[in-house]
Amino acid sequence: MIRRVFRALLVIIIIGVLCKACLVKDVQNPETHIKSSKNNLLATDYPTPTTVNINGIDYLQSQAPIGKFGGEIIFSTIGEGPKTFNPFNSKDNTSSTLSAIMYDGLLSTHPITGQPSPKLAKSYTISPDGKTYTFKLRKGIKWSDGKPITADDVVFTWRDIIFAGFGDTSLRDSIYIDGKLPTVRKIDNYTVEFKTAKPYAPFIRVLGASIAPKHIFMPAIKKGPKYFDSFLSTTTKPEDFVVSGAFKLKEYVPAQRVVYERNPNYYEINTNNESLPYLDKLIYLIVGDLNNEVLKFEAKEIDVITLQGSKVARYKSLEPHSDFDLYNLGPNTGTMYLSVNLNDRKNDKGKYYVDPIKQKWFQDLNFRTAIDYTIDRRNMVFNIANGIGAPLHTPESLNSIYLNKELKAFEKDTQKAKEYLYKSGFYTDKKGHLYDKDNNRVEFDLFTNAGNTEREAIGVMVKQDLEELGMKVNFKPIEFNSLVNKLVSTFDWDMVIMGLTGSPLEPNGGKNVWMSNGRLHMFNMRTPQEGKLNILSWEKELDEMFEKGALATKFEDRKKYYDRYQEIIYEQRPMIYIYSPVIIVAIRDKFKNIYPSSLGGITHNIEEIYIGE
Amino acid sequence: METFKYILKRIVQTIPLLIMVSIISFFIIRLSPVDPLAELKLNPSISPETVEREKQRLGLDKPIIVQYGKWAISFVQGDLGVTSTGEKVSQKLKERIPNTLLLTSLVILLTWLVGVPLGIIAATKWKTNFDRILTVLTSIGMAIPSFFFAVLLLMFAVKTGWFPIGGLTSPNFAEMNFLGKFIDLAHHLILPVIVLFTISLAGLQRQMRANMLDVLDSDYVKFARAKGLPENLVIYKHALRNAVNPMITLLGFEFAGLLSGAALTEYVFQYPGLGRLILEAVLKSDINLVMASLMMGAVMLVVGNLIADILLIITDPRIRVKS
Repeated sequence: MIRRVFRALLVIIIIGVLCKACLVKDVQNPETHIKSSKNNLLATDYPTPTTVNINGIDYLQSQAPIGKFGGEIIFSTIGEGPKTFNPFNSKDNTSSTLSAIMYDGLLSTHPITGQPSPKLAKSYTISPDGKTYTFKLRKGIKWSDGKPITADDVVFTWRDIIFAGFGDTSLRDSIYIDGKLPTVRKIDNYTVEFKTAKPYAPFIRVLGASIAPKHIFMPAIKKGPKYFDSFLSTTTKPEDFVVSGAFKLKEYVPAQRVVYERNPNYYEINTNNESLPYLDKLIYLIVGDLNNEVLKFEAKEIDVITLQGSKVARYKSLEPHSDFDLYNLGPNTGTMYLSVNLNDRKNDKGKYYVDPIKQKWFQDLNFRTAIDYTIDRRNMVFNIANGIGAPLHTPESLNSIYLNKELKAFEKDTQKAKEYLYKSGFYTDKKGHLYDKDNNRVEFDLFTNAGNTEREAIGVMVKQDLEELGMKVNFKPIEFNSLVNKLVSTFDWDMVIMGLTGSPLEPNGGKNVWMSNGRLHMFNMRTPQEGKLNILSWEKELDEMFEKGALATKFEDRKKYYDRYQEIIYEQRPMIYIYSPVIIVAIRDKFKNIYPSSLGGITHNIEEIYIGE
Repeated sequence: METFKYILKRIVQTIPLLIMVSIISFFIIRLSPVDPLAELKLNPSISPETVEREKQRLGLDKPIIVQYGKWAISFVQGDLGVTSTGEKVSQKLKERIPNTLLLTSLVILLTWLVGVPLGIIAATKWKTNFDRILTVLTSIGMAIPSFFFAVLLLMFAVKTGWFPIGGLTSPNFAEMNFLGKFIDLAHHLILPVIVLFTISLAGLQRQMRANMLDVLDSDYVKFARAKGLPENLVIYKHALRNAVNPMITLLGFEFAGLLSGAALTEYVFQYPGLGRLILEAVLKSDINLVMASLMMGAVMLVVGNLIADILLIITDPRIRVKS
């Protein structure tokens, strides 16, 4: 008997010890302590490179502290690696990132202000009517094989590759203005002029596209589009690449890594007039999934990692006695939202896409406002994003240079939400069930794509919040393809939780979502035959804002239009925004000249980064 | 001559089999709800024209029968087609097959060199402590899921820093000399080989032991012993020859697993083999790549069985007599 009691005690003690071992010790809220690039580093610190002329060559001169040459930095890319190294053929993110390293464009984006900044171009001017763009190129800079980079290369790239429709045509498709492409012409060896049919502000962003060496690409273009599709693919020998970027391909090992070496002819120098980059090698390891990436970072096989929300607390506690620093780059460009189907039309069989009873609710602004006030964004950020996120109320992401800061955030307020519902004649019965004024129980479906755990978690919490109002929500995560089909072709859905990635620099990219005949105007999608049927007054205004926004050329004018568009969405609530995840990056502290920015990330100045003591 | 005829017959028999396999796989992939264009359709910056063009390029605008016909014709002509991103399927496979073969053949070689002798010894020392310990160990080996074991070893590698975290070569592999390269490869191969070795060794050793025990219990072995033959001769001449027959059939299956058997372990260890390639292809419904890998698997299985049958004819006179 005693022995048995003793054994039982022993088991309990062991279990207790195990439980204790599993307890996570309290970690301070990581958000407050991580070096925030937003406040101290970002706005003031980054010394923008300037253009200097030395012996007739227009170098770009880095203004950052002088570093040491040599060494390597190892990044990772998730997935199966690049499909091509031809920047004009790349269709996926990995391929475009890895090929863009080698080919600079005329312009890039200033990592802090978000304005276009010169790269291969020395300077540019836009004519007062907003239709002519004149670029001055750098004199005397060279491709990696020693041939000069001139206006011919620029004209060739734009006229003979992009406008001619070689490779991936999505870039070309995005710059048709009233069905016409811009024109490009050479004025002299170092001057190029672009002309658009109408003023079209988003065009300047497109000019960041890579420039190709004419003497290498010309023969491929002559062999036709089919040959071009396999030109400079992953099987091309690294010696055959002629590049303008800071790094040049050295080795590609399928499913393992991509190795770049420094381009000795690169046109950026430091303040000692030594040519950059500092690093000898740039390596991308190809890893299959996030977990493996984390293991590789912990085993010091890679130097930089973007952390998932759930891992930040642990890394924060590791940071003081480790060899890496964490940086908070602020909210990213992803936006998570709840959309309501406002469709009031019938399909070709004469049936309503949305049940007419539900239509009445969804089209009622009070109903949508009530939902907006019931959703507990703070709670979701805390529970789903592990506190590594920011509540969102606007369609533009929080790091967008066009964000309308006048639109105030608000907290969950169930009482206020109920008042809005009562105003429209909704009432609750004794059991707390919500009915509309025609005595219909308020019940609808909420979809999201199954398999995305983040969206599924949001769905569950939205359902809980809405049930506080007495609504009955049938939350249905369905397969991604079926969901897309519902959204873009059958329109038979009530509410959906989705996410879109926008550009923090150019709201015009969202025109497909916001304009009433857009391809992704999900909340009130029209078929091409319907055109602009049953357009709502605020939809009309949205159309107008996007048209004007694209035509205006001054930032201040455009900002006005895009502010108004955000205001309309904020007031009309066809899509109710929930939160944006915050990006936290860890990088080994041996790397110096790190100037993290929300827009440029952590390695936007890769040529200036060096390995310190 | 008889054998040759038999082989020819077998090869002819596989043709309808392969056609069936290809039809079933093709239709299953195409009828699955995975839409290769879903991502494009939901990207606000892609125009409808681009989506339409992609659809035509991938042949998705044609009925499924036509798609299959097109695929089959080019397959018969030896053209495996291109992946959804426009790369040659044959090229992609060529990049990966040597890596997978290196891993799997190493493992098969090791397991057979160790597993068969261990099986024989365990059978001859039946019910001794040696046999019991071996049985426990192999039970553990069979019970551990390869996926779990691989993850455990990876954690071990992270904590100790003794082994690289997956992959096959180090970033500076190209600059190493021959010896350095060899050591680097071995260093990367140790963990995945341990996982696969442990798991297949257990099965093989038990199979061999069971076969051997069966044979040792048979009348002719008893007779040989009664005849006064030395024990060595009884076991290695009389018993082993008969016990090894079922193993040859097993070898045929091992051959089939040469290209596909290590997929899960390859995935965990980020090994640059076929496993990762095909997994991604399936997820993206990259039809040509998936079909090529499925057909390859089917052919390997058929060829493996054929080889096993031929070997059996050679080793076992009883089959020769029957056929």
